[in-house]
Amino acid sequence: MLTVLSVEVRKLNRSLALVLAATAPALIAVFVFSMLLRSKTPSEWDMWIGSGMAIWAYFMMPLCVAALTALVAHMEHGPRSWDHLRALPVPRWTLYAAKAVCVIALVLIMSAAVLGATIGAVALGGLIKPEAAAMGVLDLTGYAWSMARMAAAALLMIAIQFWTAIRFASFVPGLALGIGGTFFAVVATSARQGVFMPWQMPVNILATEAWRVQTALTLGGGLGLVVLAAAVLHLARREGR
Amino acid sequence: MTVPDHSVYGVLGRNGAGKTTTMKMLTGLLRPSSGVARVCGVDVVKDRRGAARKIGALLEAHGFYGHLSGRENLDLTRRLLGLATTEVDRVLDVVDMTRDGGRRVGDYSLGMRQRLGIARALLGSPPVLMLDEPTNGLDPDGIADMRHFLRELPIRAGATVLLSSHLLGEIEQTATHVGVIHQGRLVVEGELARLKAELAPEIGLRVDDPARARAVLRSRDLTLSDDADGLVAQLRPGDNHDQVCAALNRDLVAAGVAVFSIGARAPSLEGVYRAASAVSRRPVSEPV
Repeated sequence: MLTVLSVEVRKLNRSLALVLAATAPALIAVFVFSMLLRSKTPSEWDMWIGSGMAIWAYFMMPLCVAALTALVAHMEHGPRSWDHLRALPVPRWTLYAAKAVCVIALVLIMSAAVLGATIGAVALGGLIKPEAAAMGVLDLTGYAWSMARMAAAALLMIAIQFWTAIRFASFVPGLALGIGGTFFAVVATSARQGVFMPWQMPVNILATEAWRVQTALTLGGGLGLVVLAAAVLHLARREGR
Repeated sequence: MTVPDHSVYGVLGRNGAGKTTTMKMLTGLLRPSSGVARVCGVDVVKDRRGAARKIGALLEAHGFYGHLSGRENLDLTRRLLGLATTEVDRVLDVVDMTRDGGRRVGDYSLGMRQRLGIARALLGSPPVLMLDEPTNGLDPDGIADMRHFLRELPIRAGATVLLSSHLLGEIEQTATHVGVIHQGRLVVEGELARLKAELAPEIGLRVDDPARARAVLRSRDLTLSDDADGLVAQLRPGDNHDQVCAALNRDLVAAGVAVFSIGARAPSLEGVYRAASAVSRRPVSEPV
């Protein structure tokens, strides 16, 4: 499994998936940076980091997961390399599991990058415009913990997107699902049932109600693992690709 | 289907005959509906990974990552196969691509990709190489190079080569053994030279009026067919070429048909294929 995983990591070298992983967190940082430059009064660190995390949870993360899974899957669909990979003397489930682990690792790295880039942007903005510099305590451990839980809650969404992206050679079903899921998650925020939507799980982590956080971790994380395992098994047993 | 050691075995058949399906079953990509397939004695269904260790395959699609170099692409497969790093240099050398190994695969020509595909199939020196339509999409020079390369493969790589193609000329110039598949069934197989020798002798004719010539030849009870050069008449065993040619020429001239050329034809793979096609029209009980 480790060998297959190392091969998957090497495939990412100079790939569009890596470009996306670097660009998306940078965009959030740029947004927060420009917000701070427009601000006339200082705000708490909590407000700035919270803004970055909210943008990440609501829009960027679901859209990035849709794009990331499509790009990673298309790396094999494009050159039609599944036949070559599946004909090799390696257990087939490892091919899919390694890919899934890669996607999850990239989401974790992107989450960390969002946090790091947002802190950097706020700090830089404070230097350029001292009257708007962030004040209060920077609870780095707390934010990192929230980001980690957000990534864990996103597992169900990642599993569904991954399954779709690998199952269909065209990137259209995966992207349509991702864009649709993100849209309905935003629309469904006000509905009570909306919190159970897979694309809403990362947002639940930011909620003040404990049950929503618990739901996100149990349903998003726990069920996500089960769905991911089912996806890997199903894909490995399929004939053709 | 039995592929002898160190042979170049050409699998022939029309598009859709079952060549790629056969390759896919042997590489474990498709599950056979019935029957048994063994590669070097290893059952491909019961021990897929064991059989896969014996096979290096160039499948229909190359499956290379265009953003990586040729060397990096080979290195990925090398890692999955658990081979030494020197293997990549060795196989690049076998396919004469050492100089181009560092270039992005996205910048490779089709011929270079085919060669890289063969290099990847050679990783770990598997005893069996399966090459599905290896000259597909190549230009005439590329096809000539590839044929030369394929002929040398058993010597260069010490492997048995299973080669599929729908091009008779390609198989005729590279294969030592052939198998003809028709609608998923193996209808003829054997050593190419022997199959050719077993063919009934043929006479090739070029005439100004093929329809009238056909009527004349039918009256002599000969089996007729068309090819790109004209008419082909199949002789009966024991017929003397020269005497039959002379008699036919006389008959045709007497019937007012202008004969441009007439003479014995060397037995060809096309003849083998035609004979196999005739066999395939009869019911065959055993699937491939």
